[in-house]
Amino acid sequence: MSTNEEHRTPVSLSNISENDPRMQPAAKNPDRVERWIALMFLAGFVGFAGFGWAYWVDAAPWILGSTVGFAFSLIGIGVVAWGKYLMPKGPFVEERHDMRSTDEERDALAAAIIQRGGGVIKRRPMLGALLGGGLGVFGIVALFPVLRSLGPLPGKTLTGTDWKKGSYLVLQDGRRVHVNDFKIAEAVTVFPEGFEETPNGQAVDQTIIIRLDTQDFTTKKGRETWGPAGYVAYSKLCSHLGCPVGLYEQQLQMLVCPCHQSMFDVTVGAQPNFGPAPRPLPQLPLFIDKEGYLRSQSDYLEPVGPGYWERS
Amino acid sequence: MSDVMTKRTAKAALGPYGRVGHVLNELDDRVGSAKARNLLDKIFPDHWSFMLGEIALYSFVIIMVTGTFLTLYYVPSQTVVTYRGSYAPLDGIKVSQAFASSVDLTFGVRGGLLMRQMHHWACDIFLGAMVVHMARVFFTGAFRKPRELNYTIGTTLLTLGIVNGFLGYSLPDDLVSGTGLRIAFSILESIPVVGTYLAFFIFGGNFPGTAVIPRFFILHVLLIPGIITAMVGAHLFLLVRQKHTQFPGPGRTEKNVVGTPMFPVFMGKTTGYLFIVTGVTALLGAFTQINPIWLFGPYDAAKISYAVQPDWYMGFLDGALRIAPSWQTNNFGHTIPWTVTFPALILPGIIFGIAYAWPSLERKFTGDYEMHNLLDRPSEVPVRTAAGAALLSFVVWLFIASSTDVIANFMHLSLNDVLWFMRVTTFIVPVVTYIVTLKICQEMRGADGSGRRKTPSLVTRTAEGEYLSTAAPYHEEMEHHEESAVPVPTFLVQHEVPLSNGVRTVERADVPNRRKAATPLSPAFESGDVLTEAPNHQEMGDYEDGSVLVPTFLVEEDLPDGGAVRTIER
Amino acid sequence: MITLSTLRRSMSALFVLFLGTFSVFAVAAHAASGEMTGARTGPASNIGQPTPTNSVKDANGNVVQYGSDAITYKSPSAITGKTSAELQNIGRALYLQNCSTCHGVKANGVMAKDNPEAYPSLINVGPAVIDFWISSGRMPAANPNEIQAARKTSRISPLQSLAIAEWVNSLSPAYPYVPVVNTKDANAANGFNLFALNCAACHTITGGGDALANGTYAPTLQNSAITTTQIATAIRSGPGNMPNYSSSLTDAQVADIAKYVKTDIQNPNNIGGAGMGGLGPVAEGFVALALGIGILALAAFWVGDRQ
Repeated sequence: MSTNEEHRTPVSLSNISENDPRMQPAAKNPDRVERWIALMFLAGFVGFAGFGWAYWVDAAPWILGSTVGFAFSLIGIGVVAWGKYLMPKGPFVEERHDMRSTDEERDALAAAIIQRGGGVIKRRPMLGALLGGGLGVFGIVALFPVLRSLGPLPGKTLTGTDWKKGSYLVLQDGRRVHVNDFKIAEAVTVFPEGFEETPNGQAVDQTIIIRLDTQDFTTKKGRETWGPAGYVAYSKLCSHLGCPVGLYEQQLQMLVCPCHQSMFDVTVGAQPNFGPAPRPLPQLPLFIDKEGYLRSQSDYLEPVGPGYWERS
Repeated sequence: MSDVMTKRTAKAALGPYGRVGHVLNELDDRVGSAKARNLLDKIFPDHWSFMLGEIALYSFVIIMVTGTFLTLYYVPSQTVVTYRGSYAPLDGIKVSQAFASSVDLTFGVRGGLLMRQMHHWACDIFLGAMVVHMARVFFTGAFRKPRELNYTIGTTLLTLGIVNGFLGYSLPDDLVSGTGLRIAFSILESIPVVGTYLAFFIFGGNFPGTAVIPRFFILHVLLIPGIITAMVGAHLFLLVRQKHTQFPGPGRTEKNVVGTPMFPVFMGKTTGYLFIVTGVTALLGAFTQINPIWLFGPYDAAKISYAVQPDWYMGFLDGALRIAPSWQTNNFGHTIPWTVTFPALILPGIIFGIAYAWPSLERKFTGDYEMHNLLDRPSEVPVRTAAGAALLSFVVWLFIASSTDVIANFMHLSLNDVLWFMRVTTFIVPVVTYIVTLKICQEMRGADGSGRRKTPSLVTRTAEGEYLSTAAPYHEEMEHHEESAVPVPTFLVQHEVPLSNGVRTVERADVPNRRKAATPLSPAFESGDVLTEAPNHQEMGDYEDGSVLVPTFLVEEDLPDGGAVRTIER
Repeated sequence: MITLSTLRRSMSALFVLFLGTFSVFAVAAHAASGEMTGARTGPASNIGQPTPTNSVKDANGNVVQYGSDAITYKSPSAITGKTSAELQNIGRALYLQNCSTCHGVKANGVMAKDNPEAYPSLINVGPAVIDFWISSGRMPAANPNEIQAARKTSRISPLQSLAIAEWVNSLSPAYPYVPVVNTKDANAANGFNLFALNCAACHTITGGGDALANGTYAPTLQNSAITTTQIATAIRSGPGNMPNYSSSLTDAQVADIAKYVKTDIQNPNNIGGAGMGGLGPVAEGFVALALGIGILALAAFWVGDRQ
């Protein structure tokens, strides 16, 4: 409402006359506005027809979308203008009646529920208790199929993987990894042989193997045999939230998790030195067999992936 | 004698409202519908900020319509199939049926891509509109009695919307959303005591399992939309029953609603707005690509992409996860990874907990248990506005923290530096926002002791021509009052000889519902005279509230030679 | 005496012998073709290296090119058609002019005081690597102290780049040669699969590149100036912080990836509209809030009252 407009008092709709100035259109020039609105409706009609044509000729999605989009927008502007400029301008007023009911009505309700209804229970408390107890038990046992039937209990897949003593390391296409294969600073995803196509294999067994220069890494105590010929293998599941840590920076010698940028130093057992990951990546013990193929000495010695309550 | 009813008499027999009136009467016979006429006359206040909720409502309608189309083609199954469709870079690749059907929707179904994009854009807008609408409700105090229940329903709608959005964008089983599923599984796992059980139950086994997509599908298209629809219905019912709030202004009181009637004016404008929302969503769906799953490829637990973030409404969680320190505890053989549990579970619990609890917290701290149908201007309630701004800025900052890598790449900074910057500023930003907002609001209010804008000064001129300015003595009108309908200031007084300029005030009888009218500058007259309205003067214009435009209570001893402002004892 | 039973027994024995020999040959042939999953017959892999069977030599017995159907590794003289001596002349002059201040007159590197990687030795890297760094414009480095040299338009022409590579290689001949990728028979779908497993973790699934640790970054692959030769060289040699895939990917797999990058990373099918750089939900969120809510709020401002 501009400052120079005529003052208008809100009026109630219930006793308004047709000639009241507040029932007049808001626009100063309603005919002109009507012409504009008609133009928009016409453009909208053309737009919808265009959409029909575009669909018929299998036009590109942007043509489909723009025809229907412009049509709707223009028609919408027209309808709003109709309501805003051509309809009674008001302002109108309506009284708010007290939401609350009278005290008598409130008392009557309270009496109905608490005295009549509650009184029923009060008269026969044992029935009430037994019914309540029975329904309560139902409430609890109803949860059993809802929750327990959903899935299996967490089991071996949580704590162990498919890596065993002597598993061959294979690439995703199934080729075994030989000790002479990789150059230094080569990093690749491997799986235990036979599991490279299975869902569990990809989800849980996935391991990243990096060939380092033997001078570069510090062998942790107890892991002296785990990294033969400079090959180190770590679980690819980030210890933060389980994303595959596929990002290796060879000059920094760091594995970086792409999800939340935890950074693991591969020369000291994938120790996290930045970011939210709380634990180093578990290392897979490797050995080289007589033919020169890389194989695992055993499964990972700790559960792979993110932390959980039962993980000790 | 003709027994045949002519057309005219038949028409006349229908009554003055014709055929339509006849149908309405028949309906009223059966259900008493004529009493709904009160609904048609209901008045809706017209302020533009009240339409933000309508954006959410209409986006929801678009989501339902486009979503129904999508359900006719999408296959909610993780069974592995070989994609054989028109998109060549995926031809012959093993993908899940969910992914294959989504790609087929994009390339094989006419209008399918438009529907997919409109659905996703409408969802982003839906959540954005809910946040903006909730902010409006919060900052204007519309959640106060009697509307606390509606506010709670609204906050729950926001929560359900976020959850349903997450479930929805995970359905196509592409690389980006599948990564989000992996993270969701790990977050569930991290819950102490029951985490692994919950994770295995919901996913039907270890990740990824084959059950999660079909289950999410039913949750996404049936269960949660059903609850949302019911809650939206309750939300609107309460709104209609309690009537909408309104800003204070001329003619507006706690006991009335000023605006336009539901039918036809409001219906016209709101239907037009529905079309505009649909049109804008369709234009976005036409010209801006969203969620190009064919470029992402199918999900595979061994694959990952860099620069993966969730949809914007989950961004604050991703940001919190990135900046959280790498803390975990391991006691008595049990691990709690606080680096996950805190940002992903406890923090959103706190944020939404504050949101839910705010009405009762405010009631308790202000002691205000009254009904309120008039809204506050945000600047009038500095503490609430500042607190809301602080919480909002915290969540927005976390959202920005979820794109640390994009920021580092864009601005050629080190990723590590950006992350540390985010870690530190996450605590500073809300505090600074609180203080700044509080100060701005207090200054706008002219509160005692803050800012100098609305503190009146007394200007005096000495005989030598020096102007002195001192603070005016305290007057009751300096205080802020709760808004009520004070149509015309009634404290204008005058009993003095006219000046060439300056403010002339006149005592006049109370005239309700008239805007402030200045008196004509004319020679003195007796109080009690009936006045005519002065011609329009710039200062008669709009005021936002009942505050006084011109201080009229300046008191001073008469000066002999006339000063710039003559003050009058009252 | 030949009885029926001895006849049966000898027929069985012959049959078994025949089967066994056949199997051995079948397995040997199959394994030699490199397609058998699982066991490998020989120890070392010869991916990306010349073997007696796959290389072409010149009159002096030097290998001029080798490779497979998918990738032919050619020496710079084989690519340019000039003789090695000609190229070396050009290359030596260019090298001394542009490269020797940092890499040394003998191309064995000049150690920077605080960063031993700064001016690395070019001995034994092979011509493909030299050509990669120069043709992508990273070398000569604009700022030698930068953590990572950025790609820029090279002021050294492709021929000059190969000439420098030829000369440096002549000091210490090594492999791989410059890979010429056959994209005609490559499978982009398989390339997509391999890209997602090996490359997307750094370069993002849409190839846009992003910031990595400590100021390093994975460069974008969406630049159409990137050639399949450069892609193959980068994969085989692992420049900078990128790990190498010298033998974990076969030539066919590298060709598939190169084709995928050239077709669908550099010319993505943005049928849905403005691609927004493939940045994903962050960009989409900004558009939804700024454009979507913004326009609708402005519309509401018009539809409603301002009071």
